[in-house]
Amino acid sequence: MNDRDISVRAGGWLALGLLLSALLGSVPETEASIQGRLGTDNADCLRCHRMETLAYRDPRTGDIVDLHVDSRAFGHSAHGELQCIDCHEGDFGQYPHPESALGERLDCVGCHKELHKADKRAYTFKTIDEEFALSIHATSDSPKAEGFDCHRCHDPHGFRNSEVGQPIAEIVRADNQICLSCHTKIRDPHSTAHLWLPKRDKHWTSVRCLDCHTPLTDPGQPVSHQILAGADSNFDCVNCHSKEPRLLQRLYQYRSETDLAGSGWLSKAVFNQAYVVGMSRSPLLDALGLSVIGLTLLVLIAHGWGRYRAYLRLKEDRS
Amino acid sequence: MSALYLYPRWLRAWHWINALLFLVLMYTGASMHFSGGGWLMPFDLAVTVHNTAGILLTLGWIGFVIGNLSTENGRHYRVRVSGFFGRLFVQARYYGYGIFHNAPHPFHVSAEMKLNTLQQLSYLGVMYALMPLLILSGWAFLFSVSLPETLLGLPSVWLVAMAHLTLAYLLVLFLLVHMYIITTGETVTTNLRAMITGWHREDEPSSGQTEEAKS
Ligand code: HEC
Ligand code: HEC
Ligand code: HEC
Ligand code: HEC
Ligand code: HEC
Ligand code: HEC
Ligand code: HEC
Repeated sequence: MNDRDISVRAGGWLALGLLLSALLGSVPETEASIQGRLGTDNADCLRCHRMETLAYRDPRTGDIVDLHVDSRAFGHSAHGELQCIDCHEGDFGQYPHPESALGERLDCVGCHKELHKADKRAYTFKTIDEEFALSIHATSDSPKAEGFDCHRCHDPHGFRNSEVGQPIAEIVRADNQICLSCHTKIRDPHSTAHLWLPKRDKHWTSVRCLDCHTPLTDPGQPVSHQILAGADSNFDCVNCHSKEPRLLQRLYQYRSETDLAGSGWLSKAVFNQAYVVGMSRSPLLDALGLSVIGLTLLVLIAHGWGRYRAYLRLKEDRS
Repeated sequence: MSALYLYPRWLRAWHWINALLFLVLMYTGASMHFSGGGWLMPFDLAVTVHNTAGILLTLGWIGFVIGNLSTENGRHYRVRVSGFFGRLFVQARYYGYGIFHNAPHPFHVSAEMKLNTLQQLSYLGVMYALMPLLILSGWAFLFSVSLPETLLGLPSVWLVAMAHLTLAYLLVLFLLVHMYIITTGETVTTNLRAMITGWHREDEPSSGQTEEAKS
């Protein structure tokens, strides 16, 4: 949100007046002349709503309502092909916008339920909605999480779902930015969360918060929306660090190389980062190794017991 | 009652340092391998400790080999060929059968021979085969950049990792059996005390047992 938000409605009006006089030519306009029909193309709407300072303070809640729509981001968003009035159905072509139009509430799911294309998605909005309803943001009784909805994370004018072929690093950054915009405390180096996770910041630039903080989804499906409480989240390194040994292998080689390029070899050997978890993971070897060890333990216990019996017999014979 | 000084000071020092390093390596190794559990060491710390302990283990092993070459201790590892299988069989039968019937020990510790044939074999295998391989694979991890990308068509680091893991499991197995077998001396603690004091004492009159078997 912009720091320079005009926090009083009057301020917005003033800015609007200045803007309009610029738009409509050098002839100074009276209040009356800017009222009425203004056209309903996106460009018409954006004439005003592109303005970064366009905002007002909601008289009921005292919150600042940002009316700015970033036209570039909108153009690139999932909804970039749509007209403003496809979604904003009230008579917004009028200025001032009629009361009837202003009160209208839109939401992602309500709208997408009706869209045909929604059924074709592998991952329907209905599913997302159900998962969201179970997520910590929807179930938390913290006052900060009150009224948490899709829009807290997805700006309808800017949201674009990730697509195949997009660089992973970019996806990770964009998605984690959403979470970190609120969870700023987590970033604090003194934060006690994630202490168990080595290379925390490295992980945050290479995996999404969602990857750990949601239950596993079926292969081919996007990440779930059921964000779990910290305690229920994914600890298990192996979910990531074993699937693709070949991928890790190259990562691993690269790591040591840059590592070894540094200082003395002894300190390099001690503080070596070459071992990435999962490198040595082999379910087969683990099962084999642990079961042989377990069996041996049983045999030894049985052996010891046999010896003890023999010892008792010996004592008996002696007495 | 007989007493033999079998374990010189350097050997005992090496043995207990080695034992401690084994425990540290097992714990930190498990912490890296199964990372993320409650009782495990944090990964980062485990890596550093494991690497340090691994390097110390290497030095210890070299010390052990030099010690055996330069002192008389090495002769305990020389396997006598004549009657080898016979002695092996007798020893194995004792552990598998005789011991449950209070049979006498088939092997008698002496200054010339402190290890029975089975012990000889297993210690030779552990100290001169498994340990050097384990150490080598550990160092291969540390200097993985110098390895070729693939070996026999498989990712070489993966091979190293699997070898290291297999050897580690085998040595855990050895440790278990070792800790049990040392309780089969004259008394349960005879061998343990010998490794602590250096003196092998057979202070229990062993006649009772021998007579038993004779009758
Ligand atoms: C002349 C400038 C101007 C134009 C052009 C304009 N708006 Fe607005 N719009 C505003 C102002 C100012 C507000 C603040 C609410 C108010 O005071 O009426 C607003 C509010 C809104 C709101 C928020 C309503 C709410 O519930 O808070 C929406 C949605 C909106 N406009 C959509 C549109 C659309 C769609 C168009 C194009 C068809 C459009 N606007 C064209 C100035 C404009
Ligand atoms: C995909 C449908 C969709 C399209 C297309 C769309 N909007 Fe919106 N817009 C919404 C939704 C949903 C909200 C409500 C967001 C909320 O409640 O926080 C909204 C809110 C607004 C608001 C009020 C901001 C607020 O926080 O209440 C303004 C102003 C607005 N839109 C302007 C526009 C303009 C201008 C365009 C065209 C450039 C446009 N919208 C295109 C869905 C859309
Ligand atoms: C007022 C109706 C409306 C609202 C509200 C709305 N959308 Fe859409 N959305 C559409 C339409 C219409 C399309 C275009 C469908 C097409 O391309 O055929 C679309 C397209 C999409 C697409 C890309 C096409 C696809 O299905 O993959 C995504 C993703 C999307 N919307 C997500 C959202 C999200 C997230 C929200 C809430 C922040 C939201 N929408 C709110 C109407 C809406
Ligand atoms: C806590 C933040 C958060 C909330 C709340 C949230 N989402 Fe999402 N959503 C995300 C993130 C992060 C992604 C991943 C974006 C990406 O990379 O595609 C995502 C992805 C999506 C996608 C794209 C999935 C795909 O197939 O590509 C849709 C559609 C969507 N969300 C709709 C919704 C709807 C509808 C709601 C409300 C019921 C909602 N989201 C609530 C964070 C959130
Ligand atoms: C709009 C702000 C906002 C966004 C965006 C947001 N969160 Fe939250 N989150 C909250 C609030 C508020 C709570 C509940 C209050 C609390 O417990 O701190 C919460 C709680 C949580 C918790 C539970 C914390 C606990 O104590 O167990 C987790 C985990 C979490 N969020 C993860 C995420 C992830 C992952 C994302 C990104 C997909 C995200 N959040 C996006 C505001 C947000
Ligand atoms: C490697 C998996 C992983 C990643 C990546 C991850 N988390 Fe977590 N996070 C967890 C686990 C497990 C917990 C619970 C244990 C704890 O509190 O440390 C947790 C705890 C939390 C909590 C609760 C903190 C508290 O004080 O109770 C929040 C909030 C949170 N994470 C947010 C995030 C955000 C935001 C990101 C992305 C920048 C993120 N996490 C990335 C696994 C992860
Ligand atoms: C959600 C997936 C995920 C989980 C869970 C996860 N990691 Fe990672 N981890 C990664 C990825 C991806 C990388 C690669 C980072 C990069 O690009 O170098 C990585 C890198 C690492 C690195 C190397 C970092 C470096 O700079 O050398 C270590 C060490 C590591 N992880 C340890 C762990 C441990 C320990 C756990 C469990 C406590 C864990 N990870 C859990 C995904 C994960």
